[in-house]
Amino acid sequence: MKAPAFDYVRPRSLAEAVALLGKGDGEARVVAGGQSLLALMNLRLSAPALLIDIARLPELAVVSQDDDAVTLGAGVTHAMIEDARVPDPSRGLMARAAASLGYRAIRNRGTIGGSLALADPAAEWPAVLAALDAEAAVCGSSGRRRLGCVGFATGIYETRLADDEIVETVRLPKLSAAARWGYVKLARKSGEFANALAVAVVDQARGHCRVVIGAANGAPLVLAQASRALADGKHAAETMHAAIAADLDRAADRHFDDFQRNLHRVAAMRAVQQVTA
Amino acid sequence: MTAIGLQINGADIVDELPPRLSLADYLRERRNLTGTHLGCEHGVCGACTVLVDGEPARACLLLAVACDGRRVQTIEGFAGDPVMAALRDAFHRCHGLQCGFCTPAMLITACDLIRRGKAGSEAEIRQGLAGNLCRCTGYTNIVAAVLDAAATQGAGDAG
Amino acid sequence: MPDDAFGIGASLLRREDERHLYGRGEFVPDIKLPGTMEVAFLRSPHAHARIRSVTAPPEAKGRVFTAADLPRIKPIRVVTQAAGAKSPPWPPLATDKVRYVGEAIAACLAPTRAEAEDLAATVMVDYEVLDAVVIAPRDMRGSRHPVHDGWGDNLFSERVFEGGDIAAAARAAELTVSREYRMNRQSGAPLEGRAVLAYRDWRLDEIVIFASTQTPHTVRVALGECLDLDLRRLRVVAPDVGGGFGPKARLYPEEIILAALALELDHPLRWVEDRSEHLLTSAHTRDHHYKVTAYADREGRVLGVDAEIIVDAGAYGLWPQGPYQEAAMAARNLPGPYVIANYRARASTVATNKAPMGPYRGVGRPGACFAIERTIDEVARAVGRDPVEVRVLNMVRPEQMPFTTVGGMRFDNGDYPQSVRLCAELIDLPAVRARQQQGEPDGRLIGVGFASFAEQTAHGAAEFVARGASIVPGFESCTARILPDGSLVLMVGIQSHGQGLETALSQIAHHELGIDPARIAVRHGDTESTAFGFGTFASRSMVMAGGAVARASRILRDKLCQIGAHLLQSDIALVRCADGVVQGPQGSVTIAEIAKVAHVRMDGLPPGLDPLLDATATYEPSVGTGVFSYATHGAVVAVDPETGFVDLIDFAVAEDCGTMVNPMIVEGQIRGGVVQGIGTALYEEIPYDDTGQPLAGTLADYLLPGAAELPAIKIGHLHTPATATEYGMKGMGEGGAVAPPAAIANAVRDALAAIGARNGPELNETPITPRRVIAAIRKARA
Repeated sequence: MKAPAFDYVRPRSLAEAVALLGKGDGEARVVAGGQSLLALMNLRLSAPALLIDIARLPELAVVSQDDDAVTLGAGVTHAMIEDARVPDPSRGLMARAAASLGYRAIRNRGTIGGSLALADPAAEWPAVLAALDAEAAVCGSSGRRRLGCVGFATGIYETRLADDEIVETVRLPKLSAAARWGYVKLARKSGEFANALAVAVVDQARGHCRVVIGAANGAPLVLAQASRALADGKHAAETMHAAIAADLDRAADRHFDDFQRNLHRVAAMRAVQQVTA
Repeated sequence: MTAIGLQINGADIVDELPPRLSLADYLRERRNLTGTHLGCEHGVCGACTVLVDGEPARACLLLAVACDGRRVQTIEGFAGDPVMAALRDAFHRCHGLQCGFCTPAMLITACDLIRRGKAGSEAEIRQGLAGNLCRCTGYTNIVAAVLDAAATQGAGDAG
Repeated sequence: MPDDAFGIGASLLRREDERHLYGRGEFVPDIKLPGTMEVAFLRSPHAHARIRSVTAPPEAKGRVFTAADLPRIKPIRVVTQAAGAKSPPWPPLATDKVRYVGEAIAACLAPTRAEAEDLAATVMVDYEVLDAVVIAPRDMRGSRHPVHDGWGDNLFSERVFEGGDIAAAARAAELTVSREYRMNRQSGAPLEGRAVLAYRDWRLDEIVIFASTQTPHTVRVALGECLDLDLRRLRVVAPDVGGGFGPKARLYPEEIILAALALELDHPLRWVEDRSEHLLTSAHTRDHHYKVTAYADREGRVLGVDAEIIVDAGAYGLWPQGPYQEAAMAARNLPGPYVIANYRARASTVATNKAPMGPYRGVGRPGACFAIERTIDEVARAVGRDPVEVRVLNMVRPEQMPFTTVGGMRFDNGDYPQSVRLCAELIDLPAVRARQQQGEPDGRLIGVGFASFAEQTAHGAAEFVARGASIVPGFESCTARILPDGSLVLMVGIQSHGQGLETALSQIAHHELGIDPARIAVRHGDTESTAFGFGTFASRSMVMAGGAVARASRILRDKLCQIGAHLLQSDIALVRCADGVVQGPQGSVTIAEIAKVAHVRMDGLPPGLDPLLDATATYEPSVGTGVFSYATHGAVVAVDPETGFVDLIDFAVAEDCGTMVNPMIVEGQIRGGVVQGIGTALYEEIPYDDTGQPLAGTLADYLLPGAAELPAIKIGHLHTPATATEYGMKGMGEGGAVAPPAAIANAVRDALAAIGARNGPELNETPITPRRVIAAIRKARA
């Protein structure tokens, strides 16, 4: 199938992009890597009247770091993270997640900001960024604001972004030297979307322990009880098992069937085991 | 219609085209470069893989207009490339193609793997070719060909 | 052993490679004609509906064509001699009713495909939606809204196959194994979809159709009938074709419609199928239901098999063979490579509101192999013996050949038990068992499984007539032409789309004539330049076209010797043709020199001998019931019992296809077929909802195996040359796809055998997805 017709513009600044988006009446969309949006448009599942190409905006290409955090522009590609061509605050977790995402040709164009903004339930970045307690800086006609990556997505393809807001950067706290992480992606075919996704991060020095599952029929799901058990050092398999089960029970609104629930449970356990082993 | 200027296989091109035209369709229909094939148009099969600014990309998921100012290289544009030459020879000797439809993209992806030092083992190559489907060969000979070509380049885990 | 570097048995590198390695292949969508209009089809979104009206906007006049706008087109009609079979007409563009999601209603034309799709979106159709027939076993005897009016049921055909005395077998049985099996609906999914380019050639007064098809000559026959055109005014060309595998060996509505438009309009037309269209409308495949009861003795000897086979054949029959052969093939192959004396199978071909079913590598055999090989394993478990032993126990032995099975398959020769042993060796069964005992550190469970089969290939007229076919692909043809400079052109009626026939057929001509393959061109796929032939499918091309090449080459060889003897002033009995020359007692003359005489120096010809070096021959094996290659496949899996995920960690094939003309190409065919079989086993499925909507519309849902999912495929060969073919060749192209689902299901069974109180979880449905594995584990633990 071929995409329906649209107008195309490539603004030279983020401010210009935001203005165009604001004027778009809901019919305009930004496109960065386009790896998700163009696939949808080729299938005629999405038909924006105006595409605003933000792939080359300099504001979205910034990469900086200080003692506490790394800030990546929204336009940083998955391949750049996979190859460690940008600083890695996550002691290898992000590179690992990036390498499992799609295929290299997709990773060369797809962006971390695009993934966050799209909020595909089975995508990697929303879950990883939530686990790392990252924060997005977004820019809209009312100015800039910061949105935590936990709760950034509110549902399937739904986020807290206003219609005229664009993700500008993502700020990632640096994990301390003794931090540990676990990453489990269950998929039948290399590169396809996850059937189950679990990320566990334990950074006692910073008091940050979090277990998050993706591919969870909605926004990434923080497993609060499991996170607490990790933080409290209650690593026994039975305890973790019960905590994860309790967390999944509380997520009744996700309507997991038995198979999905079991898969999430197993993925979460294994991610935790990678941390506690 | 949107004006663009880009480089295709070393030649500078200036053109005007509708925004919705994918790079794949632009190459195939307007530039008569039909070696880039379409197998799905949703980014999964890999048959449309070309190099954009030296990196593999899905031509079906790229707008031609978004390639303004970029350097595009298709299967028709690898004359004199020693890695591609080694791959072509290896694919031929190892029977790494049957119907030929996946072949141009498979070669381009393999070329990138060797160049990046990611063709050092069978497992690594299989992972690197995960995004290029072949329906004819069962992959065994393709993997053997890439391993063979990588060895002749003294590459592998050049790291 | 190869007779030389270029002849029979040589792994000659392929001449077809060069163009593809440089991206210079010429597939239908690569061919550009000035003024071409692109076609997009308006397709039904409903599985079953009456069409009340179709309204195109006024500005679309002349660019939107419905059935009413192309009255010339006659419906597709499969004619079958099979008794009691129903054959509904299939209008290429829907008239009063649509019967599957994706059925074409209108052709919409525009300068680009994108604009043609825009146009299609403006055409309004008023539907009266009907209940869809979706579940074949439930609806086969009738439904509220049958697929075809006036049928009273939803059965294309139903037939009982019987042999021996199944009641006696049941009485004599010491144990009974009954199971239900299911192979779910899938697509053939070649990497290149279908495509048609049609135009009117005024100089030759022809309509020219470029089509991504495996069968150009028969497509031409059908187009002539559907459009009421003399075949001298129709040319069909299959250029490079990006995979076929069976689904492209049938006539499709789009070919007829584009040809009709080319007749009406003054510009070329092009339609290129996209992936979603392919998954919707190109032949659907597999989709079998089985109920099998095996009667056995306590040693595991199978005394009889009683089966019900249901094939979900979709809404229409694809021309020429219709939907019937799938169920019949399944029934006739269900007895497998075994000496089973008593048999009954009722095979039902059901019409449903889904895309029409067509052949796909193996056709009915992967389903039949799945059903019988799973059953053999269960018989083995029931009697407490190794499935490998029970397989061998039941197999036809070499000394029993030729052997006609109770399904009517006449096995010619081969050592089936040896293939089982060789496969066990290739897979290193003792090492796998040892690893299994040891256990995996990550908790996965190792399992090994086998499956055996015999593959009927290169069957001729007798077989197709027995099937009730109205088109009988019982021969192949070759025109061999030596040109004035001594180079050779072979024009053949098959169509090579990955099988390397441009290379392998030249090896045969080389064997007969001694001409270097570098001086031989093979032309195929064009009705203009080749004598009538049937195309490439049914594992027939090397045997049939190879035989025709051999015969035509020998006719040329005789003439070369006649002319050569004359030029050498020698007795013809004293000359021989070899290594590119005709050699006499006192000298030799090259084929090039002879060719010159035969064309531009006819004064050198012996008196009474006509010029030219041109011969056309046809060929059919001396046995019409086919020559049988056979194999045993072995699979080793690692199953994660917590998640249900199955990893394939080893796969081996022990096969025998008689004489291999080009072993490299043979092994390529085996590996390609095996991976397609793995796709059937683990990944590929088109599920439906209860309104008949297919639920796999993109490659994100329809999973195709990639390199990372697969091990290297090991191959071992046995060699039992056929006695009924040239050089002892047997066909083998499909075999790779036949056994993997059975071998993998048996391996998963083996991996999980310790789970649960009684027998262990069984996987009797493909694809073997994690969901199905977990469900089977749950059931076994309950």
